[in-house]
Amino acid sequence: MADPSKTDDSERIFSELLSPSELFAARSRSRKLPVRGQKDFYPSGCTQQKQRLQNSLDEHWELVSEERVERLGNLVRGIWNPSDQIVELQSPAGKFWQTMGFSVDGKQCLQPEEALYLMECGNLQVFHRDLPLSIQEGYETFLSSSQLSLQQYQVFGHLKRLGYVVSRFHASSVPSLYERQLNLPPSRDRGANQLKRKRSPSPEATATVASSPRPSEKQEDSTNPSSAQDKATNHSEPSAAQQPIPEGRRPPADDDVTGRNWWSDGLVPPEQQQDGGPSHGGPTSRWDFLSIQFPDLGARDTPGPLAPPDPALLPGAMAVGVCSVSSWLRRLNTWREKQPGGKQRRRREEEEERARRRTGPDREVQGCRSWAEYRRIMERRRKGSRRSDSKPAHLWEKDVTPLHDPRQGTSTAELLEKISVVKPSRWADKSCSVEAVGTWQISFDVHQPAVNTEFRKSSPGMPYSRMCVCSFDGPVPALGELQHVSQQSGDVPVTMAVVDHGDISFYTFKHFLLPCDLPQ
Amino acid sequence: MTEAAFLAPRRRATVYEAYEAPFPVPRSDAEAMRCRESVYRADLVNQQVLVRDPAHIELLYGQGYFGKGILSRARPDYSLSDRWQEFEGRQIPVISKARYEQLLSWRRDYLLSKGMDEEAVNQILVRLSEPIEPAAESEEAGLAQTEDSSQKKRKRSSSTDEQRRKYCPYQDRQHTDPAPRTGSSPVDDSSPVADSSPVADSSPVADSVLDSAPGTDSAPEYVLVEGDSDEEEGGSEVNQGGVRRLPFSTTEVLQLTLEEAFFLVYALGCLSVHHNQKPLSISELWGRFRGVQPGFESSYAAYHYYRSRAWVPKPGAKYGAHFMLYRKGPPFYHASYSVVVEQVRSSGASLRPFTWRSLAALSRITANVSKELMMCYIIYPADLSEAELTSPLSLHRLTVQEVVIKRWISSRERAELDDI
Repeated sequence: MADPSKTDDSERIFSELLSPSELFAARSRSRKLPVRGQKDFYPSGCTQQKQRLQNSLDEHWELVSEERVERLGNLVRGIWNPSDQIVELQSPAGKFWQTMGFSVDGKQCLQPEEALYLMECGNLQVFHRDLPLSIQEGYETFLSSSQLSLQQYQVFGHLKRLGYVVSRFHASSVPSLYERQLNLPPSRDRGANQLKRKRSPSPEATATVASSPRPSEKQEDSTNPSSAQDKATNHSEPSAAQQPIPEGRRPPADDDVTGRNWWSDGLVPPEQQQDGGPSHGGPTSRWDFLSIQFPDLGARDTPGPLAPPDPALLPGAMAVGVCSVSSWLRRLNTWREKQPGGKQRRRREEEEERARRRTGPDREVQGCRSWAEYRRIMERRRKGSRRSDSKPAHLWEKDVTPLHDPRQGTSTAELLEKISVVKPSRWADKSCSVEAVGTWQISFDVHQPAVNTEFRKSSPGMPYSRMCVCSFDGPVPALGELQHVSQQSGDVPVTMAVVDHGDISFYTFKHFLLPCDLPQ
Repeated sequence: MTEAAFLAPRRRATVYEAYEAPFPVPRSDAEAMRCRESVYRADLVNQQVLVRDPAHIELLYGQGYFGKGILSRARPDYSLSDRWQEFEGRQIPVISKARYEQLLSWRRDYLLSKGMDEEAVNQILVRLSEPIEPAAESEEAGLAQTEDSSQKKRKRSSSTDEQRRKYCPYQDRQHTDPAPRTGSSPVDDSSPVADSSPVADSSPVADSVLDSAPGTDSAPEYVLVEGDSDEEEGGSEVNQGGVRRLPFSTTEVLQLTLEEAFFLVYALGCLSVHHNQKPLSISELWGRFRGVQPGFESSYAAYHYYRSRAWVPKPGAKYGAHFMLYRKGPPFYHASYSVVVEQVRSSGASLRPFTWRSLAALSRITANVSKELMMCYIIYPADLSEAELTSPLSLHRLTVQEVVIKRWISSRERAELDDI
């Protein structure tokens, strides 16, 4: 940071402190940014263009080589700790403490990328072995570790300059499946919160119908935390307000060894899972929601038809058969399409449609005027229905036959189900073994800019997104790697930050299931 | 990772067509009884699947938007002209003189390539290009029965094509087959009738009654050639307008992509593909298609999956993708997704290896045309061997995973509007 005007050797050490005139000059520097002009698309070779280019390059260079002038008192002192790879602050932190930094043993500390960013902003001066680090030395020292690469720092700096709150990603901050099922309030300070009301465990996983083993292991998980929580509530029972225990409650363990089910079979997970739950000093409510299974009709994989309910629950001599839910499921998320045209046209079309519906879609039938005519038409058709073409042998008598016979009329919905041979897979299913995991790590959590939202470092909440940094020259992630990274992140979407020598582009890869578009 | 949000497809501003059916198969027993043939015919010619029968073309495109007419932009509605006029109770196209001469020259090239000498060719052409009289009703076997027209295979565009064209002024009239009686040559070249203006020639003979026999393939087609505005009397025949025989006809053929053809054969059972007049079975077809197109099993699995979700995939070469997905069909909605098919296999070959550069380019293109880029991963189970893939039943074991790729702009204004 030598002042170029002072060439005297003896004053070299003090050249960083500016004389009043220099300070005034520095302060009153023009703050204008160079104007971006029109792009030239190809080199025309004329001197004017070259001159223009040279001018803008010179301006650029001047800006970049500008000295930065700061008040000594504004600079926060920090000390670099190479063993822990953090910077410890000696003087109290400024405004940046709201969103950056962390406390260790009462001392304020910064991560190396935060320290380097603050150094570049001119808020921080880091000392190492009693000497202040220059920006270049800062880059060299802080970014040499395996934890922080130059590309990650570039992404960090880019996002910070736009105002986002960026912090390091810790895998432990992602709640595991177990924690999510406990559904605890997100509080950092434990011990203070006493549950005013006993919370029943959220039966998150009890409703899935799929026959894969995952729901069954979820069942096990759900019975365990419920038992753990029951123990906890038993402790807090005397002090907490609780629901009145109904009089006629009988211990659920005896009769309901198999669990109480509304449906006699079909949706119930294997019975041995249920033994764990009720026997552990069971819930205080009359209904044991652990063992009552509600079918999740909104789940992605269509559940089979609902089995009839337990006849013991039905009044009298009512017999209820199997309930098919496929027609209801088809109606989910569908809506009537809007036809183009004015209201009158729509009304006319509706009337026509109503008239058509009375007689059916058959044009000939619509045209006939008496029952005798109708019968004649049907007779004629029946005779003519002896098909001229039979099943083509080369299709139907070989080893592979078509999925559908076009000679039978089938509604569109049934036809679509018939030909749904290639099934969609679930995102959580691992498609293939993951080999190159090391390259795809989540680096940062990104939160929305702190100006609008209230951001508390102690409880930052769910991040807006998580960043995974990679190089532009590197490979594009394959499906297995995407799944791995998204699993690491939990519920938060992951953005790929692709760094191309300082130029950063962001791409999101999100899984998707195309909705089925059933025509009416 | 959160799931990508589904954006409703954008409807087109004006829709000229009505939606018929999602697939060219009957949807009820009544419909099944009404349609005469349930299996359409296609031919495998030079590794292309072509459908030639006009009725089949109509049904295959109209219900499900399969294929593309080779002479048209998308819907096979090629016709010689946009304007039609009535002549002897039927519609004939109106073409310009330049076009007529172009057709004559094509005819000439065709005849020369057959090995006929110039003299004979010229004579034939002169006879061919004589104007036709509307009043002549003689049954003489005119020039239309010459060997040249009978040699050619003639498949005319179907009558209903005309009805779809919005410029055709006679939309409610049925275009019937041409009468078997041939337009005979005029008795006298220099008769005053021949010199009359085109308008008089084409004046409809309103009471002409067509013969009941349906037109044969060798019946001639007529065109109305527009003469010059400054035509003179006594000029040569070709320079004047008038009704003439069609010298060269081009027929519209529907071309199906391999995936569409296999879907119609295998999933719907309504198409049968013939090669050298021999019908092919499903396994043979699968083997042939796999040989022609590498990665056919993955792209077909994706095609089959999208069809079974009732979306219409069309070839996406225009936008650098494998498919473009339309809801209901191209005439109704703009395409919502650009699909790139990728296979996830233990053998590791990638159908379309991406670098960040090419991904950025494709993402840019897709965003510019307001679509969303979707990667469709076809996941092969680890124990699926190469031998099993020779049978189309291996499709039942494949699964599909879709991933939507979007670019996120990090600048603050966007962040408030967009959602990751």
